[in-house]
Amino acid sequence: MVNSYIAESLEEALRIRTEKTVVPYGGGTDLMIEAPDDVSYLFLGKIPEMKNITQDAKYIRIGAGCTFTEIIESSLVPDILKDAAAGVGGPAIRNLGTVGGNVGNGSPKADCALIFFATDSKLRLMSAGHERILPIKDFYLGRKQIDLRSDELIVEILMPRSGYENYYYKKIGARNAQAISRVSFAAIMSVSDGRINNCATAFGSVSDVIIRRNDIDAMMTGKTIAEASSVRDAYLAAFDEAIVPISGRISAEYRKAVCMNLLRDFLDKNGI
Amino acid sequence: MIFTLNGKEVDYKGSLNARLLDVLRDEYRLTGVKCGCKEGECGSCSVIMDGLLINSCMVALGRAEGSTIVTIEGYSGMKRFAVLEKAYASVSAVQCGFCIPGMILASECILAKNPHPTEDEIRLGISGNLCRCTGYNSIVNAIRIAAEEGDGLW
Amino acid sequence: MDTISKSVIKIDHTPKVSGTAMYVADYSTEGVLFGKLLYSTKARARLVDVKVPVLPDGYLVVDKNDVPGENQVHIVLDDTPVFACETVEYIGEPILMVVGPDEKQVLAITNSIEVIYEDLPAVLNMRDSDVVFFNYEYGKGDIEKAFADSDNIYEEEFRTGRQEQVYLETQGMIAEPHDGRMTVHGSMQCPYYIHRAVAKALGYEPGRVQIIQDVTGGAFGGKEAFPSILAAQTAVAAHKAGKPVRVVFDRQEDMEFTSKRHPSLCHYKVAVKDGKVTAMDIDVIYDAGAYTTLSAVVLQRGIICSSGVYNIENLKVHGRAVKTNTVPSGAFRGFGGPQTFFAVEMMMEHVAGRLGIDSLTFKEKHIAREGDSTSTSGMYHFPVPLPDMINEVDKTCDFRRKYKEYSKPQTGRYRRGIGISLYFHGAGFTGSGERDYIKAVAKIHKTSDGIVHVLTANTDMGQGLLTTFTKIVAKELDLPFDRIIIENPDTDLVPDSGPTVASRSLMIVGELLRRASAELRAIWKDGEDQIIEEHFQEPDFLIPFTIENFHGDAYPTYAWAVAAVELEIDTLTGLANVLGTYGSFDVGTPIDMNIVVGQMEGGLMQGVGYASMEQIAADSKGRIRNNNLSDYIIPTSMDVTNLVALIHVEKYPQGPYGAKGAGELSVVGVPAAYIEAMEMAIGTRINHIPFSAEDTMKVLQEVQRK
Repeated sequence: MVNSYIAESLEEALRIRTEKTVVPYGGGTDLMIEAPDDVSYLFLGKIPEMKNITQDAKYIRIGAGCTFTEIIESSLVPDILKDAAAGVGGPAIRNLGTVGGNVGNGSPKADCALIFFATDSKLRLMSAGHERILPIKDFYLGRKQIDLRSDELIVEILMPRSGYENYYYKKIGARNAQAISRVSFAAIMSVSDGRINNCATAFGSVSDVIIRRNDIDAMMTGKTIAEASSVRDAYLAAFDEAIVPISGRISAEYRKAVCMNLLRDFLDKNGI
Repeated sequence: MIFTLNGKEVDYKGSLNARLLDVLRDEYRLTGVKCGCKEGECGSCSVIMDGLLINSCMVALGRAEGSTIVTIEGYSGMKRFAVLEKAYASVSAVQCGFCIPGMILASECILAKNPHPTEDEIRLGISGNLCRCTGYNSIVNAIRIAAEEGDGLW
Repeated sequence: MDTISKSVIKIDHTPKVSGTAMYVADYSTEGVLFGKLLYSTKARARLVDVKVPVLPDGYLVVDKNDVPGENQVHIVLDDTPVFACETVEYIGEPILMVVGPDEKQVLAITNSIEVIYEDLPAVLNMRDSDVVFFNYEYGKGDIEKAFADSDNIYEEEFRTGRQEQVYLETQGMIAEPHDGRMTVHGSMQCPYYIHRAVAKALGYEPGRVQIIQDVTGGAFGGKEAFPSILAAQTAVAAHKAGKPVRVVFDRQEDMEFTSKRHPSLCHYKVAVKDGKVTAMDIDVIYDAGAYTTLSAVVLQRGIICSSGVYNIENLKVHGRAVKTNTVPSGAFRGFGGPQTFFAVEMMMEHVAGRLGIDSLTFKEKHIAREGDSTSTSGMYHFPVPLPDMINEVDKTCDFRRKYKEYSKPQTGRYRRGIGISLYFHGAGFTGSGERDYIKAVAKIHKTSDGIVHVLTANTDMGQGLLTTFTKIVAKELDLPFDRIIIENPDTDLVPDSGPTVASRSLMIVGELLRRASAELRAIWKDGEDQIIEEHFQEPDFLIPFTIENFHGDAYPTYAWAVAAVELEIDTLTGLANVLGTYGSFDVGTPIDMNIVVGQMEGGLMQGVGYASMEQIAADSKGRIRNNNLSDYIIPTSMDVTNLVALIHVEKYPQGPYGAKGAGELSVVGVPAAYIEAMEMAIGTRINHIPFSAEDTMKVLQEVQRK
């Protein structure tokens, strides 16, 4: 019989994380599907430092222990993230599941992780003696492989304060509720003084890791809408090459077709 | 660890890894909490934890420390239950009954947050509770009727 | 509205709504051993060796060697073994059961057992099978002449997929040996089917076996035959252990290893002359899976329905149920009808399209009328209300206008379609089954205190039978409900009134109860103990029908339906949004309006699922891949938000107060309405269900390329 631990503070959690081999347990909605017997959990639900949603000069800081419901109800959370959180599972899952767990699962299907990719958010990872801020893109090493050391916890997600009011988000599931994502797409177009200062796209559920190609999106940076229209075809062609969906029960052809359709629609909606 | 179950404080001495659903059913004999899938998809195991609807199959006991849990057994003694069950009865929303304890608790959570929900809000509120018998119409109607009849209770 | 139709509070409402109703998994496990089945992981193999580890005290393994009676489960035929013998014939065939006091330990032992197989070639696709379990042919008229004389001949093949019942309560049984008897209780539709199966497996005299139905959390046919297998296995285990044994399936094993709707291949060749269909040559193949179970009867119903609601004078129908090394297919609401109704409705619609006529107008030309001959040369003895029902649906959803509008070419991002389907469900057991095979007996027993006990073997699985039976008896005896007692059947106490299948319970057994009650009323003596027994009598008007010649009245009467589905697709994603699902249903007099409407709505929803999101995918070895509720998708409350069931009443004089079979009808024809709507939206012909967002996208891309 293994021991599991309930941490009352971040400091206690990080100490246990260092001393023992534990599986961090946020909401449990992913972990409890398999629920092997002999695992040692570190229950994080009581840690106050992981439940805050605040903002500072640069970031909106979202505690990794915040549930999807708390995300949806917070006045500080931007709509793009609320949309994604609202699409996770059903009400009961949203009341339990945490945004930290969503990221920590390492899955390309994770709804909130997609938004963090599109917004180039960062993760605040902490261990007992150390803290590092990691761009979310660098956190994902491969399918279900994350750059989380065995003594670290995801404590906060840092989203840029602004710049994504004009966003596009679509999740394709098998039904209207309680649907695992088959294809998901989040995109941001930020224009000021007639020029695009940020075009960001992210594609979820189609590959081992969420697809974020800042280099391709950069084709749009600095351009006027008219100029952007002239590179539209090249931009689409670049993504056509970059998106190589894996086939599962849902065919690669379907996933590819939907990704490209949504990308085109995103451009259309922005006059490109 | 200690938590409150249907209004009473309980001192749970088992494994923190145990599934809340299993503990409620096997140890506390609260068999009104049903098991339909054990993967958080059907909602038959729904209970109210700290005022929120959750799937008890998705909760390890460690997560429930210090929490307040209400199952159908605890809820069925309340005035609000009387209004809901009368509404459900009036439209014969109970067919095989297996989804119903979860649906009743989901109904409570909808109305607790929003005493006069629209049909869309009702449907969203029960969207995590699967029913194979009714096609959902009668359950949606029941909740609407309870909202109308439950004057002031929510 | 008939007074009996007035809705009442269901008599089992309170225990279910308060959570006190006892389903089989709710019983205390004190002193009860847990049982877990070990399943074959091969689609077909010889069982070379089964390596059971040394078992701790109190743990045992139960297999074919432990079957005291015959290692056969009686389900029509006897080919299903209780436990596998020399070979395994499908992934999921039970090889043995591990039994013991601790559930986790039982599971661990089961997982540690090594099975040595010798692979044998397996057939996974019905097209590849050459083992025909059942073969039927029938016809009428002169098919050759009709084809020779025709203006046009159209041929097409249609496919339907497996559908899983997804009753919310999984299968479960508890067997308790006591005093030289075996009592088995659990989730079931047919206590006497189980009684026979358990007695056979144990080698017991019937009097030593007692079967009791527990509150059953949904069934839809999935608990018609399968429980006989599980009950036999659990009883054998309890017999060996000398203690109670409990087996409750988890969702994964229930989804992977229990019976599902037969997949089908239906080939239609249709002759048209002067704008009308004059002949149909129909070939039907149903995938029975590895054992025969109910396939004979499912196939019979399927081929009887294969010419639909139409009066087709020249008919040739050939049906086969073939073996594949997959989970044996079984009963699911509609029982073979949904497959051929999909095919015939789509065929009629496609022919109409080829002739340049709108499908509803075309179909209406062929609708059978009272007095017409049925497919099997019986007769429609009662009115066929479809024309009125079509108008009701048209009024409710503005069908004809929308059909015209959506038929025009659509080029936008969102495209709409609307479809309509006409169908029936033959009420009751096929042919002379009621008379020759079931021979239903129902009883009412008035005790001296004036309480009336209703005694039948029919089960409430959510469809409200406890309530509707009570209403019938109450009405006939003019008694309040609290003077009537009806319980979940216990074979020690109730006669065999037949299984709860084929939408027969209200129509057949309900009528027996009504007659018994009327008789009791006539001879009622206060203070006396009185028992009335009523035996099934075949209605006089029936033209005799046997399976041997497939000729005559397959059913005494029909419940009729018209379904319409309106949807909108998003061409960017292939997703379909169902804007409305509508149905008009004639099940005779509703014995309770809320109950009947609730059943119709539930069936409509299952039909939408069957047409669209419900897909069972197997890998190349035959293993079902989507064995859980996150991968096998059924509709939620947000998927069909506009669902309307209308009730049309054509009384059936032989049914209680005019009631006909109601339980299955609603689901039977929905897919064709859905698919017709989809065809309109995406501008192509479709010949298979389920039809998913992926399928939609494939079509859209092909159209784009052209």
